[in-house]
Amino acid sequence: MKKFLLTLIAIIVIAGGGLFWFVTHKPGSPFDGETASAAPADLVHRGEMVARQADCVACHSTPDSKPFSGGLEMGTPLGSIFATNISPDKQTGIGNYTLADFDRAVRHGVTPDGKRLYPAMPYPSYVKMTDDDIRALYAFMMNGVQPQNVPNKPSGIEWPMNMRWPLALWNAVFVPSGTYAAKPQQDEQWNRGAYLVQAAGHCGACHTPRSVTMNEKALDEGGTDFLAGALLDGWYAPSLRQDHNTGLARWSEDDIFAFLKNGRNKHAVVFGSMAEAYNNSTQFMTDDDLKAISHYLKSLPGDPARDGQPWAYVAATSATGNAGKPGAQTYAAKCGFCHGTDGRGKNEWIPPLAGAASSLISHSESQVNVTLNGSARVVTADIPDAYRMPSFREQLSDRQIADVISYVRSSWGNHGGPVTPEDVKALREHTDPASSNPIVLQMR
Amino acid sequence: MQLQINNKTHEVDADGDTPLLWVIRDNLGMTGTKYGCGLAQCGACSVLVDGEIVRSCVTPLDSVIGRSVTTIEAIETDPVGKAVVAAWVNHQVPQCGYCQSGQVMAATALLKQTPNPTEDDIAAAMVNLCRCGTYNFIKTAVNEVAGRKEASL
Ligand code: FES
Repeated sequence: MKKFLLTLIAIIVIAGGGLFWFVTHKPGSPFDGETASAAPADLVHRGEMVARQADCVACHSTPDSKPFSGGLEMGTPLGSIFATNISPDKQTGIGNYTLADFDRAVRHGVTPDGKRLYPAMPYPSYVKMTDDDIRALYAFMMNGVQPQNVPNKPSGIEWPMNMRWPLALWNAVFVPSGTYAAKPQQDEQWNRGAYLVQAAGHCGACHTPRSVTMNEKALDEGGTDFLAGALLDGWYAPSLRQDHNTGLARWSEDDIFAFLKNGRNKHAVVFGSMAEAYNNSTQFMTDDDLKAISHYLKSLPGDPARDGQPWAYVAATSATGNAGKPGAQTYAAKCGFCHGTDGRGKNEWIPPLAGAASSLISHSESQVNVTLNGSARVVTADIPDAYRMPSFREQLSDRQIADVISYVRSSWGNHGGPVTPEDVKALREHTDPASSNPIVLQMR
Repeated sequence: MQLQINNKTHEVDADGDTPLLWVIRDNLGMTGTKYGCGLAQCGACSVLVDGEIVRSCVTPLDSVIGRSVTTIEAIETDPVGKAVVAAWVNHQVPQCGYCQSGQVMAATALLKQTPNPTEDDIAAAMVNLCRCGTYNFIKTAVNEVAGRKEASL
């Protein structure tokens, strides 16, 4: 009996010790033991491109802060967390990080003292980045970015939920291991696109639905949930798969390329969170990379069962359009001058509402949000766009917004389904109007 | 780019996304069309494109290629437009006047499409903003062109 107890205790101690080791250990890095060496200018430059691909500024800078000094507040159900200072300041930033430390933080979500980062940092995607890209990114962050002495803000999450070690177990289950492995049966362009989408681009962070455990349901084309559309922060990030209604089936590769390069095409203009991703990230990528992304996305099959009856344009039957429906008058007075009484927009400058993914997806959040709050200026090569969506929160009541969006979602063949004033009220309370200033976050 | 404005062909050098309003005022020097908000909210910039009302501040140049644009400068060459201007003068509609070229364009478009508008038609079509509050005079003038006498205020 005593022997049994001793064995049991020994097992518990060993298991406990093992667990302790596991949740606090620092994963190995291929850069362990490497000593710092001067970074050549072209490596720094390449790293700057990687930083744009990974859109590091999106979280680690705010419009009011110095580049990479942190500060973006991210609401979580448990409380707010703040993106940290990742400028090369030795006291408050990452100035003391070795390349191996940097690698562990970016690809594995582990700080030099063994603490686990919240997966708001998209290391489950970045883990797929190549050693070369990590080395270049490090060279840029250390040499291309100015140190900023700005202390990090404490997170608003309280004990016991602020304990980080359980994340090590979450990582063990949900985070893939290893960098992107090229698929030999696919061509080079496809693989480049897959790499950018899955790794640095972390498109799935918004566009892939998450499980109750908050992990993305799929991290590559092997899962049909990958980039199948998801709701995040009051915006519905639509499917990037070949779904006729709610995805990219009606977009050609050139259309996708134009969207990422110019922020617009004849189907849509970037808005909501994508306007920020465009302003700060995709417009800076090379044409070859954007073409690779477009090529890869066109290879992801759609799902007619999820997507529903294929949309086709239906013209209004009378000269006065669909007058008489609630919302028709508001549409004519507030929306039709830009989006057209026929719902077809104006070339690639003002997007159509007829056949738009946001008019066809059952989630109405993006349309409600953009109507309440307008959208950020789309800034291409430092030039703000000529047209922008203004905020209507002060002009229209919950009922008027619900009616006008229901009108849009039931006209011209759209079948997204109605919106209630309660839907509008809920978002009105949790969102703020977009700034009318052109905002592109600077990195230097 | 070639533009048809007030029955004249104009050659303009501008990008396709340039708002028609900029071209009318800045490139062609026709300043009767006004800039109010630039966001399709006020209607001061209203012009006609193929007889339909558009807000030129949100009308990209390349969307009016091959179409016929009419501005306030030429509105009296249209019989309906001429009647609208006469009613506007008759009722002394303008106060400060800034929004009025847009109002005249909106009224003309309405009356060309619907010669006998109901009160509801007028309310639905005359949505341009007027910060002097000349809305009642506007309604009276539109009613007059439609052949309806209103008791004057
Ligand atoms: S200036 Fe065009 S609507 Fe106000």
